[in-house]
Amino acid sequence: MTDRDANGTPTIRVDSVSKWFGNVVAVNDVSLEIRPGITGLLGPNGAGKTTLLHMINGLSAPSEGEITVLGEPVRNNPGIYNRLGVMAEHEAVYGFFTGRAFVEFSARLYGLNDVPAMVDKAIKAVNMADAQNRPLGEYSRGMRQRMRLAASMVHDPEVMLLDEPLSGTDPRQRIEFSELLAELAKDGRTIVVSSHILEEVETLADSILLMISGKLAAAGDYRAIRAKLDERPYTVSVGCSEPRRMAAALVGLDEVDSVTVDAEGRVIVLSKNVSVLQLAVPKLAQDAGIRLERVEPLDDSLESVFGYLVDA
Amino acid sequence: MMGRNMMGKSMMAGFIKDPVLHISLKQLSGPRRMTIVTLLAIIPVVITSVIVGVNGGVPDEFAAPIFGRMFVAAILPIVVMALATAAFGNELEDKTLSYLVLKPVSRLRLVLPKYAVTVLMTGPLLVVSGVVVALVAYDADARTATAVAVGIAVGVVTYSSIFMWMGLVTTKALGFALFYVFLWEGLLSEFLSGIRFLSVRAYTVSIMHGIEDINLAELDELSIRLPVAAVGAGIVTVLFFYLTVRRLRRMDVP
Repeated sequence: MTDRDANGTPTIRVDSVSKWFGNVVAVNDVSLEIRPGITGLLGPNGAGKTTLLHMINGLSAPSEGEITVLGEPVRNNPGIYNRLGVMAEHEAVYGFFTGRAFVEFSARLYGLNDVPAMVDKAIKAVNMADAQNRPLGEYSRGMRQRMRLAASMVHDPEVMLLDEPLSGTDPRQRIEFSELLAELAKDGRTIVVSSHILEEVETLADSILLMISGKLAAAGDYRAIRAKLDERPYTVSVGCSEPRRMAAALVGLDEVDSVTVDAEGRVIVLSKNVSVLQLAVPKLAQDAGIRLERVEPLDDSLESVFGYLVDA
Repeated sequence: MMGRNMMGKSMMAGFIKDPVLHISLKQLSGPRRMTIVTLLAIIPVVITSVIVGVNGGVPDEFAAPIFGRMFVAAILPIVVMALATAAFGNELEDKTLSYLVLKPVSRLRLVLPKYAVTVLMTGPLLVVSGVVVALVAYDADARTATAVAVGIAVGVVTYSSIFMWMGLVTTKALGFALFYVFLWEGLLSEFLSGIRFLSVRAYTVSIMHGIEDINLAELDELSIRLPVAAVGAGIVTVLFFYLTVRRLRRMDVP
């Protein structure tokens, strides 16, 4: 490993990057910087995480904007992969390889000098020494993921981009995986781990990047972001048989910041605690003898973020 | 001189050990694909043998259809198509291409081994089959065999370049390749003679006819001048090879 950045200066820079496919905008004007340590790229399915990672690792070109890794552009710069290890999200492997042959294949493509020693080290790190000579096609999903991780880190890279690496792993493997990444990060590596499951990232990452609908919704320390989200009021629409009586009942709740009745007769509630509100509204309606027709968030993206963070 | 030889040997050894070459060999030499390709290549040999067995030789009216129409116009491009379109097409389909492009390897070093494997796996098979058919059908000599071998080799090299590019550009490469072979080269070139200048089939037969114009006189109707065919094949091969490298540089890899 050479020239590893120990000063905490950004190793990955994404500057005003957008990506669209025809009329569909997958990533919308995202700017971010990633420093050494473990960064979690978090967001629900379809948020644009994989598209962003594909642009960072050079598999696809941004429609707009610029990306550099370790100060260099990634697209059409094969030399950068000597310092960058990538584990893509799809799980396809060459089924005719054994696990070890797959990692060796990777090592040879990296042009490593001592292939057997580096392969041994990588396979040992992912705890797959016992199963290394079995065909990849016979592996469980979790075992395949670990061997793919070994193949992506066999050249001891400074930056690692791992797209949904914990997918298919069992709880014990996740703990081992987390410990391994923590160990790798201690050495000053920059590791980006994407996931749509909060718990995975929570235990791994020093900081998170939260993507929603192709945009960077938040970036920074995990707890600070969660607290920030908790402080944001959410707008909920309540449809019922007697909106004014319902509004009067809702005003009395501590969790409610404001209540209005719109022109269509819907009660519009602003609340910082949607989960409590969801339980309180049916009870209030039942107690007051009001027929409840519909309760729905008006800001889908925020609701999904909230639900995601609370429930995942 | 000795140093140059050593360097050449070392480069060759490096190429033989190339991991992309190995993986391409494994991918393209599946038993199913190889069985189909081999069967296709020996069909004209079997038909020619049957005709010889029945008639004691190949009548003149059978020679051109078996060699020109069946072998050169159909078997040669189809066999090359089966492997060349899969060279990158399979990697795209099963999403393993990222394992290659996310490595410190230039795009040229990815394309070259795949191209070499395609040519090396189809070339010898087709040359042997084509030479056997030509020798029997035309009761030919060594010069004719050489002409046929060179022509087929040029056809393999040129078709491989075109079909490998198609496999990288579209998931429907086989369809486009069949369209090119049967509609463009087979049908349209019958009506529009200018198309022969953009036809691998015309390059192939023109080179054969250019080297041996007596035994292979029947190929004259499809021919263009030998230098034009040789230059045309060279340009098409280099052009599509370059387009494959360029495509690999510019495309979004799934």
